[in-house]
Amino acid sequence: MATLEIKGLRKTFGGVVALAGVDVTIQSDEILGVIGPNGSGKTTLFNTVCGVYRPTSGTIRWNGVDIAGKPAYLIGRLGLGRTFQQAMSFPALTVRENVQIAIEHGSRREDDAGPRWSSPEELLEFVGLEAFAGEVTSVMPFGNLRRLGVAVALGGRPAQLLLDEPAAGLNEGESVQLVHLLRRAHELGVGICIIDHHVGLMAELCARLVVLHFGNKIADGPVDEVLNDPKVIEVYLGGEE
Amino acid sequence: MAQIATVADASVAAVRRPKKSMWPSAAALILTTVVFAGVLAFPWLNPGYRALSFAVTTGITAIVLYGMAIPFGQAGVMSLGYAGLMGFGAYTAAILSRDFGLNMWEAMPISALVAALAAGLFGLPSLRISGHHFAITTYVMCELLRIALTNGGKFTGAASGLDLPPIGTVLGVKLDKLSNTYMLVAAFMFISMLAAYCIANSGYGRTLRSIRENEQLARSLGVNTNLHKVGAFMLSGLFAGVGGDLQAYNFRHISPDLYGGATSLYFALMVMLGGPRTIFGPLAGAIIVTFLPEVMRIDPVDSRIAYGLALIAVVMLLPGGVITAVGRGYQRVARTLRGRDAIDGSPDPGASWT
Repeated sequence: MATLEIKGLRKTFGGVVALAGVDVTIQSDEILGVIGPNGSGKTTLFNTVCGVYRPTSGTIRWNGVDIAGKPAYLIGRLGLGRTFQQAMSFPALTVRENVQIAIEHGSRREDDAGPRWSSPEELLEFVGLEAFAGEVTSVMPFGNLRRLGVAVALGGRPAQLLLDEPAAGLNEGESVQLVHLLRRAHELGVGICIIDHHVGLMAELCARLVVLHFGNKIADGPVDEVLNDPKVIEVYLGGEE
Repeated sequence: MAQIATVADASVAAVRRPKKSMWPSAAALILTTVVFAGVLAFPWLNPGYRALSFAVTTGITAIVLYGMAIPFGQAGVMSLGYAGLMGFGAYTAAILSRDFGLNMWEAMPISALVAALAAGLFGLPSLRISGHHFAITTYVMCELLRIALTNGGKFTGAASGLDLPPIGTVLGVKLDKLSNTYMLVAAFMFISMLAAYCIANSGYGRTLRSIRENEQLARSLGVNTNLHKVGAFMLSGLFAGVGGDLQAYNFRHISPDLYGGATSLYFALMVMLGGPRTIFGPLAGAIIVTFLPEVMRIDPVDSRIAYGLALIAVVMLLPGGVITAVGRGYQRVARTLRGRDAIDGSPDPGASWT
């Protein structure tokens, strides 16, 4: 089991405090959700953990190794996978080549963590995109593109996957499929940490929720507990109703 | 512009194709054979001395262009430094010949290495800046090299340049005879073509394409994008170094003006005109740009204006280059002739690398 330990993580952009000292421990045997209003620092949290941004202060330990401030590609190589808020792919390449690139780089890792894929076809079948293998991704419908994003991340053989709003823009049916896919990925031993605004989806998928508000963690615990927390209702849930 | 190109690419390729194999299709093989035969037969068509020497220059240029196609076509980083890199190769050959008596063959690996190191240096700014900004930086580097060579005193022969001995004889073949030089250059050109093809179709080629398509996503998968960008430049520098060595011995006299930014612009035009992601694109580009003014008897000043217009036209109208455009035209004709469905899995005559 892999552990991501974030302590006192602070990230500022000029005068703007995006993360004001966040402590979270993420275990790869759980499905963890991160919620919070827009601008609460969710994506900044992922980007800082994954090496897109250098933390202003604080520590990030991945299986005991300090990864704070390391370049993104090194963190990717340590088995910490991610998806992006904008559905990302290698647009001019085929679906097959997209996952092939991911698998080629994932398989170079020396540790045993994460699911192994014998071929791009196996992975495409796992995510249900096998029929689109030869298609160029820039013409794919959005739902498939989201799923391809997850596939590419899984191809990198992550022990822990950080998903940034993977259900944004998906319809009801596609969201259900996505939940199903993430559950199956979790059964393969991939830790799932997901940001999303869809509280229903989060309640269904996650066992534990973390709530961010203005760069601070205001709640962390089992889903039922967090969703009934008066503070959470006030800053996040209340605002929606 | 890049986005428009992607959408256009995609609409053509949207037809589902069967799994693409590493091996070229039948049409690609036939086309390759035709090109191969055409290149080898050229000296027997009595083209005359002038055309043949143009052809030798074209072949040498194509070697450099195949190198250039790796960072540009695969990794998506455009550089205008290739004349300069070729200059590193050529001057290395000339200086090694003058000071150490090395011949063309002995100097070749050293020229390649020196040009590769220079290419790595030229490529370094690509880690901080991209697109036009990077292209301009490399253009400036080229001009700086030209100025340095012009002011290099006795070491670089200053503005008048350096002389080289003849290539000499290998296995009883006098390589200095123009038709033999042509065959020598053709051989190196085909080797470059094959090398570029193999690189594009390898896992390394895929890694470079991942950088071209989405650098941030590539990084998240563990691709050291900085290393690979500089690596791709160094690899392309090897081609430029070999081209420079051949060019120096072909001309037997080199001077700084050959390796300035203007020459680099011609190289860029050739690669873009031909199509950096196709097997025959760089060769086609080199042939068109070198021979078209000859064939059409355009005077040098007019031809420069024509080149400028051509470059704009290519960027606007044929983002994939002429070879890709011809391939698309062929597919369209094939589709009309055979009906829409028959096109599935049909070989791409442009024999696209990607």
